[in-house]
Amino acid sequence: VSVGERGSGVLSGLTPTERGVVGFIGLLSLLLIYGLVTGGLGPTYFLYLLGLVGMYVLLSFGLNAQWGYTGLINFSVAAFFGIGAYGTALLSADNSPIAGGISPVVGLIVGLVVAAAVAVVIGIPTLRLRTDYLAIASLGLAEVIRILVLNQRAYTNGSAGLRGIPSFFEGWPVLGTFPEVMPTLVVERLVFTIPGLVEFELFGFTLGQGFWQALLNVTLIAVLVAVTYLFLRRVHTSPWGRVLRTIRADEDLAEALGKNTYSFKMQSFVLGSVVMALAGVFYAHLNLFVSPGDFEPINTFYVWIAVILGGSGSNRGAMFGGFVVIAIREGTRFLGDLLPASLPVAMPDALSLVESTYATVVGNFASTRLLAVGLLIILVMRFRPEGVLPPQRELIWPGATDEPVGSAEPGGRSVSADGGERDE
Amino acid sequence: VSVLEYVANGLVFSSIIVLASIGLSLVYSIANFANFAHGDTMTVGAYASLVVFGLVGGLGGSVLGLPYGFFVALVVGIVVAAVVAVVTQKLVYEPLDIGSIGLLITSIGVAFVYRALIQLGFGADTEEYGIQVLRPIEALLPYGIRMTLHEVAIIVSAAILVAGLHALLQYTDLGRKMRAMADNPDLARVSGIRTDRVRLWTWVIGAGLAGAGGGFLGLYSQLSPRMGFNILLVVFAAVILGGIGSVYGAMLGGLLIGMIDQMTPLLGDVGIPIGTEYSYAIAFVIMVAVLLVRPNGIAGEAGS
Repeated sequence: VSVGERGSGVLSGLTPTERGVVGFIGLLSLLLIYGLVTGGLGPTYFLYLLGLVGMYVLLSFGLNAQWGYTGLINFSVAAFFGIGAYGTALLSADNSPIAGGISPVVGLIVGLVVAAAVAVVIGIPTLRLRTDYLAIASLGLAEVIRILVLNQRAYTNGSAGLRGIPSFFEGWPVLGTFPEVMPTLVVERLVFTIPGLVEFELFGFTLGQGFWQALLNVTLIAVLVAVTYLFLRRVHTSPWGRVLRTIRADEDLAEALGKNTYSFKMQSFVLGSVVMALAGVFYAHLNLFVSPGDFEPINTFYVWIAVILGGSGSNRGAMFGGFVVIAIREGTRFLGDLLPASLPVAMPDALSLVESTYATVVGNFASTRLLAVGLLIILVMRFRPEGVLPPQRELIWPGATDEPVGSAEPGGRSVSADGGERDE
Repeated sequence: VSVLEYVANGLVFSSIIVLASIGLSLVYSIANFANFAHGDTMTVGAYASLVVFGLVGGLGGSVLGLPYGFFVALVVGIVVAAVVAVVTQKLVYEPLDIGSIGLLITSIGVAFVYRALIQLGFGADTEEYGIQVLRPIEALLPYGIRMTLHEVAIIVSAAILVAGLHALLQYTDLGRKMRAMADNPDLARVSGIRTDRVRLWTWVIGAGLAGAGGGFLGLYSQLSPRMGFNILLVVFAAVILGGIGSVYGAMLGGLLIGMIDQMTPLLGDVGIPIGTEYSYAIAFVIMVAVLLVRPNGIAGEAGS
């Protein structure tokens, strides 16, 4: 939807928040271009980040299919992501204890099939129950899977992880050798001097094999994201998607209409889990190394932030959320390197607390990131529980948008899947 | 190692789980959401005790091998955990109008904030109270039980707290109001119970017990910023096993889960190759099995 609209070039057709989001993305792009041009941000690393953004977008799509469409609280995102990553890595990695050297395409299929099977196994006991049980049980089962991967060294290499994973296109006719055959481009460093005023440097990097490989990866994730987006949009507007939205809004109603809600929930759960595993497969061939750390629960909650910040049920929102998560993850790391370790200005003694707090916050960016993640969750739930880009036009067939869109959007404002049971 | 030894270890671990699961269950039934910040509330209590114990550590004599200062620190830890929970309720949960699922998601944010602040303040490494480790009690050794006085102290303290809670729920006005609210919040409200006030007291009691559990967990093993989050799922398993919202079910569930957790080595003894690294995993699997067979738990009311 957004692509079509932006294609028609009507900024005035956007809501104020949409303009804000466009502004945010524009600002971020400017910042990145500034980094690229001045040589502060290597092009290869930039493409790697872009690949990670795409990965988070894909993960958010998967969670959206479960939580956004159907209202299923899945706290095992990291588990399905990890299953996808290990599924392909175990088949293709050099030091895989059970296989190795098998084509990543086979790994892709195996990863997705295993994820679907695990989703069914987790879904059977939990999807019939109240949705908060699913939250607890899915987090618990994700931990079981993490502990298994960590301890079954004979099959998974344990905490050492899997190394030497080939790139996704290895062995393909043209794409497999693409990074090697491409020429190495050297962009010379340019120094501009305005006498007496400023002196600045531009460019100054080499585009070698790593760059072309990264470019290939970004192309791959772009294709995966586009295909998944179109597929999910199609199924979401179908009668099947309507049933899911009904379940989210009022499960009893869906039952009363004669729908087998358990079966629909299972389909939605499996669909979302497979999309998450797809992101995991991509990650394994992007990072070329996987370890049990990829199963850590914090990875699940990065994806949750992307979805609730972007707008539950909105895939446009999920794309935005993917950008924000990478901005948090990499931005805090970047700031940690950039900021001086202690305050540059001397503080009076009365404010020594400010000084020591600053030093602590800058010195511990892993903790600061966790703090930022937690505060962001609280603030979004407090001030904008529907997210920044709640689903609006997404739910309407493209041909039907001539009519004014009323405010009574299904699933627009409601975050609670249980119809607000809260007592006051 | 005898079976009795496992039972003794199980009792100690159960005491900690019971304290935590009662609090979680109380909040679940009265504030009406699954509080994922409960584990980190335990961490808050443990670290508050650590700070206070550092200040008053050498205080007076000792009881059950623990200096008086430890009990002072424990009480402060309980108070700090309760205050933090009440402040969180007032600042974060009360202004929200998003239903129980929204509260659940928010509580994850709260959990991260607690943990991040503790990490910023104390670093990510493990800490200890620094109380001298005792030798096992001589009198129990002939029975094959290796148990220190500290572990006895944990069991006794937990038993006192649980008995106190039982008395509070059964024989005081506040307890009756809490039971009424857990039963039927609307009916409690129209009967003239000030539900907001009862809800605050629930947070005080639930978080206070969690703070005590955290303090004992720190004494039992070590303190680390992740200690509460790591044990949270075991506590959830206990609550689900007992039946969500039932305080007495939570006690029973906590006892069983704690026991099962410490019995894991028995599996190896009888030839099933499942090591202790899977003890938490076993608790989760039991939880899922309970959900499958009896979703309302052992003591939960039928239908939901």
